[in-house]
This record gives sequence, C-alpha cells and structure tokens, in this order.
Amino acid sequence: MNTLNINAVLRKISMKHIYHIDNNFKKLNTHFAILKLIREFLWREKFVEIEAPIIVRLPGQEPNIQPIPVIVKDEKKKKFKGFLHTSPEYTMKKMLATGFEKIFYLGKCFRDEESFGGTHNPEFTMLEWYRQNASYYNLMDDLENLSKFINKKLKFNNKNIDKKWLRLTMREVWKKYVGVDLDEYLDQASMLKLCRKLGYKPQATEEYEELFYRIFLNKVEPFIGKSVPTIAYEFPKCMASLSKETKDGKYAERFELYYQGIELANVYTELNEAEEQKARLVKERNVRRKNGSLVYDVDEEFIDALRVGIGNCAGGALGVDRLVMIFTMDKNIDNVLGLPMSKIFK
Amino acid sequence: MAGSISEVKKGCVIKHQGDLFLVTDSRFTNPGKGSPFVTAKMKSITKGKSIEMTYKPVDDIEIVEVQNQRLQYLYKNGGFYSFMNNDNYETYELEEEIVGDAGKYLKDGMEVYGVMYEDRVIAISIAPKMQYKVVDAPPAVKGDTASSGRLLKEVTLENGLIVKAPIFIKTGETILINTDTGEYCERINE
Repeated sequence: MNTLNINAVLRKISMKHIYHIDNNFKKLNTHFAILKLIREFLWREKFVEIEAPIIVRLPGQEPNIQPIPVIVKDEKKKKFKGFLHTSPEYTMKKMLATGFEKIFYLGKCFRDEESFGGTHNPEFTMLEWYRQNASYYNLMDDLENLSKFINKKLKFNNKNIDKKWLRLTMREVWKKYVGVDLDEYLDQASMLKLCRKLGYKPQATEEYEELFYRIFLNKVEPFIGKSVPTIAYEFPKCMASLSKETKDGKYAERFELYYQGIELANVYTELNEAEEQKARLVKERNVRRKNGSLVYDVDEEFIDALRVGIGNCAGGALGVDRLVMIFTMDKNIDNVLGLPMSKIFK
Repeated sequence: MAGSISEVKKGCVIKHQGDLFLVTDSRFTNPGKGSPFVTAKMKSITKGKSIEMTYKPVDDIEIVEVQNQRLQYLYKNGGFYSFMNNDNYETYELEEEIVGDAGKYLKDGMEVYGVMYEDRVIAISIAPKMQYKVVDAPPAVKGDTASSGRLLKEVTLENGLIVKAPIFIKTGETILINTDTGEYCERINE
C-alpha cells in the first residue's frame, strides 16, 4: 500500500489498533526476535518444544490464580464446560510420566481478574520448561544463560544482565531487607505477630502466605534485584505449592527471579509424591471455596501422572512479555504486546 | 467512608494514621500469590511527605470525600502555574509538584478541576481527552520506518507538547489527545 492509499484509509476512522502497533513497531520486533532466540537456545540444549491444549477441563488450584471459563459445544451442540489454561503444567507433567525428558512450552496462558496493563495482561506468553534428572539449581543456570544469550545476540549490552546473578536464600533475603531470621517465622502464629509488630493490620485468620506477602511485597519486592538480577530460593514449606521440600524439612525447593522490581520467573524442584500433591491440591481447593473463587475438581489424571512417576525433575515458568520489558526498558506490558487487552476492550 | 481497593485512585484522598493523604499514583496487582493488592503512592496533605502503601481487599480504607472546584488555567510564571476561579475571581499559584503530570497538557484558558482541601488546591484534574491545535507537523516521508512504523510521526501542539499523530495531520489542524497516555485519539473536523 503506498502512502496515498494509507492516507485515504487513515482519514476515515480513528484506528486505535493499528496506531498501537505502529507506535510500538520496534519493540514488537524485539519481542518476536526474543521468541526466536528462546527457541534457538532451548533447541541447542536439546529440549523438545511441545504443544499443550489451551482449553482444559480442570485447571490449576492455586488460590489466587483465576482461570477464564469457556463453553465448548460438540456437533450435537452438547455443551462442555472448560477453562483456558493458566499454565501448561499438568499437561507437561503427564508427558513427563510417559518418558519425555526435556520439554518446553512457549505460548499463551490466561488468567482472569488481572489488570489490563502495568505488569499484567490477562492473556500472556509463558515459557514453561522441564528437565528430567535435575533440580532447581539447573534451572537457575538455564535462566541466567538464556538471558545472557539474548543480551548478546540482540546486542543489548545490558551490563547488569551480563554480571554474575545474585542467588540468595529467602532466609538471607529476609535478613537483608526485613532484618529478621525467617527461621523464627515459619508458622502462621509467629508470622501474624511479626506483621502486627511491623505495623500491618492483618486479620487473625489470614493464611501464612497472605501474611508473608504483606511484608514481602512492601519490604522486599520493590528493592530486590534493583541492579543485578536476583534469585530468591528456598521458600517456607507451607508455600511449597508444587515443589519438593528441602532436606531439613523447613523450606521448599522453589525460587523466584527478580529484576528491576519485577518478578520474572517461578521455578520448582518438582514434588513427585502423588498423595502429598493431592493433599496440597485439596487444601488449595478448600481455600478457593472459602474465598468465593470458582471451584472445580482436582485433576485426578494429573495425580495419576505422579503415581506413574515423573522422576526427579525441575520445572519453571518465565513471563516472556516481562522479559521483553526488561530488554526494551518498558514499565508497561502493553507497549510490548501486539494488541493488549486495554486496546481491545477499553 | 470505607472504600474498596478499586477506589484507591490517583486524585483521591485517604485518611491514614490520623493524617490526610492525596493519592498521586496507584497500581493494582494480582500477583497470583497472596490476594490482589493496590500499591498507592500518597502525599501527606499537611506535611507534604510522600509514602507508599499497599492495601489488600480485607483492609479498612478510609476514603475522604473532597470538594472539586472549577478553575481556569491562566499562565505559567517561573515554577508556578496560575489558575483562577471564575465564580469568585480567587487566584491560585500552584507549584509544579501539585500540578504534576497534568502540567504538560495545560493550555491557555483551559478549564480544570481543583481538588480542594480547606482553602487550598491540593491537586488538579483535567479532562481525559483534550483538543489541541497542531502548530508544527513535518511533511510525512514515504517509507520512513526508522523510528517507529510508517503511520505515525511527531507533531508539536499549541502548548509545546510533542505527540505522535498520523502522518496525514497537517499544521493548523486540531486533534484530540488522551491526557492519560498522551496518545492521539482523532482529528477534529471543523
């Protein structure tokens, strides 16, 4: 289309969508180049890219992650209630149970009740990857190497990403930013006391995780990883979710990656004991019910995958749009998305 | 008035530890771990000190109702913006800090709302969309994809603000700008 034709079209209407894309032309090119490099990096490491169904019947039970419901009809117009997946985790673990060893998913995930813009968009791109015979330490290396690979290939020359990343246990993190020994605050009662001592006004019945994050989100997250990407590992045991306990039984082999005040990735040495996993999911389901969130059954097929055995593996999830924001130095996720929800619906 | 976290927005006033705070910025986050929260940057109305607060849905938030007064923007002199209340001809000289980001969208004679506390203007709010005359629009260069794409170019508005607008926009035309994002909305046909 030549300039004359473009002018003729542009005069007719206000084109919010096309202007958004045009305005972020360069950043989108960066976004797509990063997708290509993630694949190149993982293929070089002998990972297999898998596909997972986006529509599932039974999504994850995480109490604070809300799936988007969908209804699918078959050829007789019989209705089936499902959800857009919030993560491909269950599907990928079912694959691990059958002998897949190094796999990744690079694609869309969906979460309801998120802000349109900022660091969230209800539809976002996730890299989820699993390594057999590995622990979360191997995935720390993966993340660091992948980021440095992108930094070099796209010639960003981001000096902070090139530095050796910081790896701190949560206990060290709390000592540094909150000034307390986390070992003494590993149950609800002690954490509640600490919250009140620090001037927060939680309710007496709040879950441990809620209390933990009241402090963490105020005292730690804004400050951690300001200059160099920082991995915080070993989470309190009751925040294990789908991860394995540490040897001393106090913590869980889970880490998160922080940089510039943004959480980029969440990684586990995967829990492989079926009954323990089931118990945790049932507990989370009860929290969902208590919170008035959507309630659905625990995916028994996922528990069966653990019964069959997923080996000793580690898996992680990286927010790809956020990684792009780091490289393009954007504060708003909308600027790195082709069409963010805010432009589609608002 | 007890508020919910969705009411904690830029421009609202919150009573916190016996002091009144103006919210200067707010951000909603659903981190997927722990319940959602809103992070508010707030400035003490009496002491001027800024703090950051995080509110959870279960928290008691005391939102204070404030009066808004219609004001007309007159001019900028040194570091101060002058406004007048056309009903009583009261004038206000406001520091850049109070006017904040809205400052770049002001133009002579523009009507705004002043958020009042006692006899003071503690913040101003402007219409979400405003019209501006384009005073400088370079001719579009065909195939110019160096900076962004091919559909937008930088134009200068009557108040000196530079925004991106479609390449067909010419000097002397009037365009509508979103004063929240600084983005072009549409051309006004006169």
